Amino acid sequence: MVKMSLDPVQVMSGQVKELKVATSSNGDSRGSWEEKEEFDQDHLASPPSQNQHITTALPSLVHMEYTSKVTGRRARKVEGGVFFPKPENAVTVAVSSRVLFRTEREQKALETVNARLRELYPQSEELFDIVLVTYNHAHVGIRLINTINHHNLFIERFCMTGGSSPIGYLKAWHTNLYLSADSEKVREALAEGIAAATMFMPEKLTEVSESQLRVAFDGDAVLFSDESERIFKAHGLDKFFEHEKDNEDTLLDHGPLKGFLEALGKLQKKFYAKGQRLDCPIRTYLVTARSAASSGIRALKTLRAWGLEIDEALFLAGAPKGPMLEKIRPHIYFDDQMFHVEGAAEMGTIAAHVPYGIAQKHNPKQKTSVAK
Amino acid sequence: MVSTIQNTDVKQKDADHAVVVAITSHAAFESGADDGDEVYREGVAFPLLQALQKVNERLLEENPAESLLFDVILITTDSQQQQQSSRVISSTRHYGLEVSRFCFSSEEDFIESLQKNNVKLFLTTDTNEVTQASQTGVVSVLLDQQTAVCPSEQLRVMFCGDAVIRPDTGPMPLTRQAAQSFSTQLGEMRQKFGMFDSPLSFILVTSHGGRESCRGALQMLRSRGVSVDEAYCLAGAPRGPMLSLVQPHFLLRDGYSSLEE
Repeated sequence: MVKMSLDPVQVMSGQVKELKVATSSNGDSRGSWEEKEEFDQDHLASPPSQNQHITTALPSLVHMEYTSKVTGRRARKVEGGVFFPKPENAVTVAVSSRVLFRTEREQKALETVNARLRELYPQSEELFDIVLVTYNHAHVGIRLINTINHHNLFIERFCMTGGSSPIGYLKAWHTNLYLSADSEKVREALAEGIAAATMFMPEKLTEVSESQLRVAFDGDAVLFSDESERIFKAHGLDKFFEHEKDNEDTLLDHGPLKGFLEALGKLQKKFYAKGQRLDCPIRTYLVTARSAASSGIRALKTLRAWGLEIDEALFLAGAPKGPMLEKIRPHIYFDDQMFHVEGAAEMGTIAAHVPYGIAQKHNPKQKTSVAK
Repeated sequence: MVSTIQNTDVKQKDADHAVVVAITSHAAFESGADDGDEVYREGVAFPLLQALQKVNERLLEENPAESLLFDVILITTDSQQQQQSSRVISSTRHYGLEVSRFCFSSEEDFIESLQKNNVKLFLTTDTNEVTQASQTGVVSVLLDQQTAVCPSEQLRVMFCGDAVIRPDTGPMPLTRQAAQSFSTQLGEMRQKFGMFDSPLSFILVTSHGGRESCRGALQMLRSRGVSVDEAYCLAGAPRGPMLSLVQPHFLLRDGYSSLEE
């Protein structure tokens, strides 16, 4: 199901402006976290929240029952521990500690999807699973767990690597998506073939749905490879259009986040299979500078050939993405160009930069990660 | 019949304060049937031996008068190697291993060597020896091929954070007590180094429980003077892939009856 968005502003000059490379500042620009890789200091000393768990003196329990006061939701329990999906069956989202403590709403949305999946498929392990993967030293482990308790976050799996690279662990967790505020780590993950993006938080967040998870993607260099962008860079807009027209029937190559879209699609199909298409708690969007009538066709054909459905495709023909994102209110938006990421953040959308492809080469070198 | 030979190449440690670690020569060296050479090949425990040495080196760097050091002794029970005791000694010297004493005994009385030498940790590749030594209350660890691929620059000790409730079966097993005091001593050693760049690292892995299990384990270890460096809470995820990344030299069963690996 594809909705073509016809933006009245489809003039050549507008297109040229938007397709240009972002000459914006580096990755740590306004909107990104300034704090060092440490979680919220305010809550470090707090005792475990009373309503969360039944804890005993050690040795700890075989059976653990979790009842969250907030949602009244219970985790299923089986003998020997709490029920958790096997990493290879789940859609695993790995996050750094900064991301963990700043994406409460997003995690809630994932949990909502999980609750609905469990209703329909009580035995299935095809659920979202959030894993904390951080190079924090475990001496802050107890405080970290206390903080998780305090925020009522539903996270039970983590790696605190004490300084060594977390990238190997991402693979061990069968990570479908890695989100971090550290662009170096994100690049490393991308280089290892793991879908990853650098998180940027807006100063003021617009409201997002609690009942439907919305994920928006840029097309080139995110879902698709950056081949078309390369043409544009090297030869200009005319050549870009020509190239797209000539290759309309040739599939675009895949980009770093194609796999994640695929994983979302798999979960969506589970709802469709039970007649819940209209009411599906996951919705995906393509927000691209391509034009509906021309260069966009290749994008759509490619998605179709991949067997991937995207709920809404918005072809902006070069117009700014911000206002469109404001309408959609996605929980997260992925783009390879900092210009758009910043634009999204300005409009209150959580945006994630995918440092992939030709657009990166023209940006000034990203700052290295902040000191631990 | 137990005989003990001092290694004159190595300075003897302070018996009151050193932590005695016994390794079988079978674990330290590979003895092939057709070894014509003078010197044995490196065994699975080699990186472990080097790591122990590294800890000592760094401890002495921090404080040249340090007495809380690892005191490594080599126990030879293997009859073949026993016959070639000089080869065990010369191989040790060849590799420059910091072994302070050699103990030669039979399978029947190697326990005596452990006791006489106040051994706190016994490392072997032989399951029978592990069982026997454990029964007398010595912390014993079975080494295998995994140990051979561990780093040699840092000693990595793993603790398992899972616990199983069992009805009280009487007094604490001897090994549990011994393991606890051994880990406390390790904790003391660890304190002499900073958070990062330590030659000694403690890793906690919680396989089955969630974050509460992990927190409990962290607190328990902290109360014993062990400050954990790396923590992995698996909540049911397969251990194998994680452990091959973590690369611990050995698992210290410290007060928990750990679930089957």
